[in-house]
Order: sequence, then C-alpha cells, then structure tokens
Amino acid sequence: MTNQTHPNPTEFDCDLLVLGSGPGGYSAAFRAADLGLKVVLVERYAQLGGVCLNVGCIPSKALLHVAAVLEEASHLGALGVEFAAPTVSVDKLRAHKDKVIGKLTGGLGAMAKMRKVEIVRGYGAFVGPHQIEVEETHGSGQAQTGSKKRLSFKRCIIAVGSQAVRLPFMPDDARVVDSTGALALPGVPKKMLIIGGGIIGLEMGTVYSALGARLDVVEMLDGLMPGADRDLVKVWEKMNQGRFDRILLKTKTVGAQATPEGIRVQFEGADGSPSEGLYDLVLQAVGRAPNGKKIAAERAGVAVNGRGFIEVDAQMRSNVPHIFAIGDVVGQPMLAHKAVHEAHVAAEVVAGELLGRADLARAAFDARVIPSVAYTDPELAWVGLTEEQAKAQGIAVRKGLFPWSASGRALANGCEQGFTKLLFDDRPEAAGHGRILGGGIVGRHAGDLIGEVALAIEMGADAIDIGKTIHPHPTLGESIGLAAEAAHGSCTDLPPQRR
Amino acid sequence: MAMIEVKVPDIGDFTDVAVIELLVKVGDRVKAEQSLVTVESDKASMEIPCSHAGVVRALKVALGDKVNIGSVLLELEAEDALESAAAPAAVPAAPVAVPVAASPAPAQAAQPSVPVPASSSAPAPTAAPSPAAAALPHASPSVRKFARELGVPLAEVSGSGLKGRITLADVQAFSRAVMAGQQHTLAGRAALAGSGAAAGASGSELGLIPWPKVDFAKFGPIERKELGRIKKISAANLLRNAVMIPAVTNHDDADITELEAFRVATNREHEKSGVKVTMLAFLIKACVAALKKFPDFNSSLDGDALIVKNYWHIGFAADTPNGLMVPVLKNADQKGVLQISLEMAELAKKARDGKLSPAEMSGATFTISSLGGIGGRYFTPIINAPEVAILGVCKSQMSPVWNGTAFEPRLLLPLSLTWDHRVIDGAAAARFNAYLGQILADFRRVLL
Repeated sequence: MTNQTHPNPTEFDCDLLVLGSGPGGYSAAFRAADLGLKVVLVERYAQLGGVCLNVGCIPSKALLHVAAVLEEASHLGALGVEFAAPTVSVDKLRAHKDKVIGKLTGGLGAMAKMRKVEIVRGYGAFVGPHQIEVEETHGSGQAQTGSKKRLSFKRCIIAVGSQAVRLPFMPDDARVVDSTGALALPGVPKKMLIIGGGIIGLEMGTVYSALGARLDVVEMLDGLMPGADRDLVKVWEKMNQGRFDRILLKTKTVGAQATPEGIRVQFEGADGSPSEGLYDLVLQAVGRAPNGKKIAAERAGVAVNGRGFIEVDAQMRSNVPHIFAIGDVVGQPMLAHKAVHEAHVAAEVVAGELLGRADLARAAFDARVIPSVAYTDPELAWVGLTEEQAKAQGIAVRKGLFPWSASGRALANGCEQGFTKLLFDDRPEAAGHGRILGGGIVGRHAGDLIGEVALAIEMGADAIDIGKTIHPHPTLGESIGLAAEAAHGSCTDLPPQRR
Repeated sequence: MAMIEVKVPDIGDFTDVAVIELLVKVGDRVKAEQSLVTVESDKASMEIPCSHAGVVRALKVALGDKVNIGSVLLELEAEDALESAAAPAAVPAAPVAVPVAASPAPAQAAQPSVPVPASSSAPAPTAAPSPAAAALPHASPSVRKFARELGVPLAEVSGSGLKGRITLADVQAFSRAVMAGQQHTLAGRAALAGSGAAAGASGSELGLIPWPKVDFAKFGPIERKELGRIKKISAANLLRNAVMIPAVTNHDDADITELEAFRVATNREHEKSGVKVTMLAFLIKACVAALKKFPDFNSSLDGDALIVKNYWHIGFAADTPNGLMVPVLKNADQKGVLQISLEMAELAKKARDGKLSPAEMSGATFTISSLGGIGGRYFTPIINAPEVAILGVCKSQMSPVWNGTAFEPRLLLPLSLTWDHRVIDGAAAARFNAYLGQILADFRRVLL
C-alpha cells in the first residue's frame, strides 16, 4: 500500500526531507547531515530561519534592545547625565533590524552549503507516504513560479510551524497587523491597541511605546501574561503602567471598523458593558495556530487533529513510522528552544535507523522542563513548577526569595525592583524532597539568568547545591545562589528570618 | 481547589499487586465508590473504588505498576471544589509526550511563553502536567540519555551518587548485572512470567536452545486464541514451580472401603440437613494428621532455613470455568469433617462464581489436587510454591486385593504425592503416604 505514488521505491531523492526551515527545521536538517544523511530542506521563503529569525524572536529582540537603551538614557537625567531628546529614524531602525536578520539567515545559508544540505524553495505538500510536491517560489518573498517539483524521501520531518491567529471580524487594513506586521515597523502610531495580553503583544507594545506610542491592551482573562506567577507580573505592571492609557481585563473585543480617522474597535466587559476606542495601529496577538492542515498530510497517512496539531511520541514520530514532526506543529509550548531539542531527537532517530546506529535510534525527548521568557522591560522568566501550579496541584514547596533591592549590582544598575524566586519540594514523603521544582525571575536579564535554574532542575539540585555553588559578586546571577540560601535559611544578605 | 489524593484502601494482606486495568482517565467525573482501577495479585483481581466524588485531574499509576495499601492512584478535584471553579472551556493542546519504552520519564511541559494564546482563544494551561519530582528518577540528562541508549529502565536503578543520584556507573552496573542474570528488569520479569511462549522464547535463562518455531498453518487450519487472565497467571506460577523445584512424585493406594461406607452412611444420616460430606473432606482431615506427624511437609524453604508452620491451612484445587483456582480451608486441624464439608462447598461455589476474595486464596501450607470426580489413576501434580508438597488423588476403584488367602474386592484411592527434594527425602515421602493410607483405611487413627 505504501509507495503507490512513488515511481521507483528503491531509489529516493534523499534520505531525509525536512519540511520547513525554522529553528526546528534547520536544526533537524543540519544534525541529520552531520550524522551522514543526504538531506533536502524545503522552505518557501528566500531566507532560512522561519518565523523565529525573520519575523519573531530575533527581530523583536533587535527592536527591544534599542527600546531599552532609549528608555535607560532618558532615566539618566536623574543620575546627572542629560541627553538631548532623541530623534528616531524609523527607516534606519528598520534597516538595523534587517541587518541583524540578514547576518543570521546568511549564516544559516552558508552553514547549509557547508553541510551539503540541498535547499528547495517552495510550498511543500505530500502526494504520498514517500513523496512531496513542491510548488516552487522565487524572489524575496513567496511568489510562485508556477512550476512544480516532486521529491521522494526515505524519511520526513515535518517542521511547518504555526501562524498568528486572525480575529475574523478585523477589517482588512494596513493599520491592522499581527506580530509579523508589527515587526515590519510601518511607522510609529500615536495610539495603539494590543489585542491579547500575552508575551508577544506586550513585547511589541514595549517597542512601540518606547518609540512614542500610547497603548491600550485588551485581554479576555483576568490578568496579563497568563502562565506566569502573579508576583512576577506585578513587578512588570508597576513599572509599565505609564505606557498604557487603558488595561482592559476580562474584556472581549467584539467588533472593529476601518475609518479614515483610524480603526474603531468595540469592547465588551465581563458584565456586558460596552466600550470603544480609536487607534492608528491595532496589533492582534491572540495566539498562534499550527500549520498542520496545510501540507496534505492525509495523503501520507499522517494524522492531524482538529486544531491542526500532529501528534507524536517521545521520539517525535507521527502515526506513520517514517514521518516525524517537531516544533509548533506538535503542540504547546510553541517555543524555538523546544523545537530545536525536538529537532535533534527526530534527526538522531532517523539517522540511527537509516545507518543502523542503535544509540542514536533510541533518542527521545525527555527534557523535564522548558523555560519561558517574556522579553519585556523588566524581563520575566520562569521554568518548571510555578507557585500557582504548586498550589493547584497540592504540592508543598519551600520558597526561597531574594529581592533585588538587597543586591548591590541591581542597585548599581538601577534595576532593584526585580526578584529571584526558587521553589523546592517540601513534601516530606516525596523521594525528591528538597530538590528544586521551579523558579521565576523578574528583572533585567531575567531571561539570561533562568538557564541556571533549568540546569538545576534537570540535574536534580537542592537548595544547598545551588547555595554552595559560588556565584560571582556582584552580579544579577548571584541572586539565584542567594535565593537558594534564603530557602535554606543561611542567607546573610537579607534581614534575619523570624524564628 | 480541594485536590484529593485517592489511595489504595486496605484490600487485605497484599503487597505489590499489579494494576491491570485503568477504568477512568484524566478529566473523567467519578462518583464515590465508582471503580477506578483493577489490580491483580497472583491469585485474584479486584476493582478499587473511589473514596470521593469529583473529577480526575491526574493519574498516578500506569498499567503494570505495582501498588500497595496507601499507594496514590490518582488526584481528584473534589466535587464541592469544582462548583466554585468553573472548568475552562478550551484546554490548549498539551504537548504530546508518549514515553518510549526505554524512557519512563515524560517531558514536563513548561508554560508556553512567546506564542502564548493570550486572550481570545484560550487560557494558558494552568494545569500542565505536574513535574512530579517524586516519581522521576534522580538522574542528570546525560545519564538519562545513556540509560535510554542501553534500554535501562532508570526507575529501577538505585543511585549510589550523592543524595541517591543515579550515576553513569550505576547504569553500567545495572546493565552488567542484568546481562549476568543477577538482576532482572521488571519488564524482563514480566516477560519471563507473562506467557508460556516467553517461557522458552529465548531459552537463554537456562541455556536452552530456542523454543521451536512452527508454521502450524502449513499443516492444517488453525485458530489463535488468547489465554485467559487466570490461565496466564497460573502459567507463570506453574512454570516457575516446575522449573525451580526439584520435585519427585510417589504413588500409592489407600484402602477406603470402610471409609466410603462410613461416608455414605453419614450422608444418609444428614440427608435432611443437606450437608453432604465428600471424600475430599475426609482427605483434608487425614492430611492434617499426616502433616502433624511429618511436620517437614507443612513447611517452606527460606534460604538455608526451614520455616515449619504450626497451623494447618489446606488448599484444594478447584476446576472453574475461568481456570484453575485454589481456595484455602483455614485451620483444618480445628474443624470437624462436617464443618470442613460445609466450608469447602461454600468456597468451591465462590470459586466457580469468580467471587473468591484474595484472603480466601492465600495462606495454604499444603495443597490437595483431586481429579476424583473425573477419572484417571495417577498423575504428577506441581507443587504450589512456597509449599513443599502437594497430594494428587484420582478416582477410587474397586480392585482385587490379596488378603493372604484370597482376593477381596476393596475400594482403592490412588494417591500421588509430589514433594520438594530439597526439604523431603524419598523415605519420608513413602512414610507419609503409608501413614496417610493407614488413616484412610481406618479413620479412628485420627483420634490417636
């Protein structure tokens, strides 16, 4: 039953075909090539790197960095250093961002060449269990050439990612954008609406606000940044209140019209009360939907669920044994760092099976935790169990909290509002009693600091392990060691604990 | 939210019973007393009821897990708590993490970060799978990878590192021990015990040649039927007992001419009360007398020591529609033949109805397997470990017996006594059978 569409089942164009070149896709392709497979990578855009490199993680960070410097410079007045009011050239800023992207994607292209990974440009869709048809694209975007190409493969890894969800009632207007559109930096609006109080929306809001926009944010749930502990979010809220005219919680967006004056948007509160706003720019950031339904997976027999996700096992294998899937298209959390790890697993399993290497063929995704970061100002980062989850699941935890107001470095750097929090297993009956279960950090560079907490969880460290590890002084990273000492009761940089 | 841990209640004298069936799944709303899982000891299966009503939030056991009294089965959000916290309508798809056989630890999905479904679509998952630190083996990622490559089940490796951390060397030592046959993985043990085919599947355990593979269909039409649950369990036990015990069987005949006459008379006397005395009831009583005279037959081997039991619980094999069951008649020494008959009838009925409780199937010190109702002459019963002997009886037959001057018709009961040669020797077995024969020939000896 297999191969009926394949001309000659004994000859394949490649060992492995990877569909999509985001962080997951290119990592899978490169790893498989390094292990000795003949690899084809299918990508519809001119640049490799997918959403993350082109219209996601990296460009947003390029802009956030500029925003942070801009705002910090303005705070320096109080410290005795006055700058003239900045003049922002949006075009130059956009060029800077594009240059950053160009460096990275160019690097990827060069690395693909070095590994002899063949890149085929176009939209890929399955025509059979061992064959894909690529509608070729050209130019800088995804314009179709009209020609088609068929490629056969022994194994396939689906890494087609996700795309931003569009609200059905939003008008088709240049002033209504998703994260991709916002990163294109069309200009600086006076008044901007962010629909969705999650990480993407608030990061973009930070950038536009630093450039001079006034913000409204509307969120259906009762708080911003769902998923993070409220104590972390509270610090961010306090420091960011000034950016917002309105923070509409438990509020639905129910309608919108494009008018010459701006986009008119209607809201409905939890009690049914209506309200309205007029905006120069509306950012939709209500989540992302997987692209599983766009590749004719059924022709290969790959099961795609109703929401567009492809279900896989711990080896990233779909219901069809020679077809794998990784990244956003296999489920939450939709994070580049998760995709990369899944990519290596899938590539190793494929290589192990094709090359007869049992050690590789047994690869599996068994990471215990996946960290989350909001690159706002201040940054929020958390990993493992949150306090809310601990409470909900009835897991007794011992908390070690170190406020950055007690950190010399944080005071010196003017970021003393942050704190570092670690949670340790406090269930007396648990085999892992005393071991770290999770951690959360709010403050500058929190995202850079959280990796140590993730490592501690994977290694099964306890408070003494972390506290007795000498952290350099004076650093923000020190706060992790001090939080562990606080949990243990041996911290001397905090007031004595009540007995 | 009131999260309740539902634990295994007191289910009798059982340890390490296996979960063979999960009757609920995460998200199910359950009533108090609703069955949650089926567990099975080597003798019986039971359904464990729920202590509270509510919604199942997390299953803490998987198929094949061994549980004991107090083991946590699942986490339940109690009913009253649910009313205040309306369940979120849309639950975001959790990352799919089906553990492969070699990696029992599923990834704990962290909260989504960058592309969090922020507002309109769905709330962030508030109940991501618990990290359940207690259940995860204490091993670093590199050791987990190494174990996965070797196929070593980390949950079964004990750690020698600081604070019980499993080191690379521990994984190596475990795998060496398994290769050397000094240790078994749970899966290996299950496979060994699991099916008849596994018994000889590789033959490696005993250094035997592989089990013959025959394409039966080549020779004629065949039909494949899965073994029933009890068959599978008893197969594993029988195989172990047959292979591990150096067993010898002695055959003998007992003259039960008078005893049978007495039995028939007794039954006539008790016709109205409905009590029916069987030969097996007399046999149990007679065996207790023989066991008391030869206490080694009422013992168990424990390493280099013999545990001699000063109680006499007699198991009797019962043929049931589900397979072979062995109910146990407790304290047979303290009971008269009438009471033994009554209790046996009750136990046998329960066995046929599949209602024997585990307690009613444990604690035997000696077993009798009777084919008396069916026929045959002699057979070689397999000892029910850790007992050290078993008596098989077949159909009694009227036979000509030379009384010194003439042949006399006597009713003879064929006896087959299998015994563990590590504990008992041939002379003792012959004496046991002879003494048993004497009692059955003249039951008054029980009183002596």
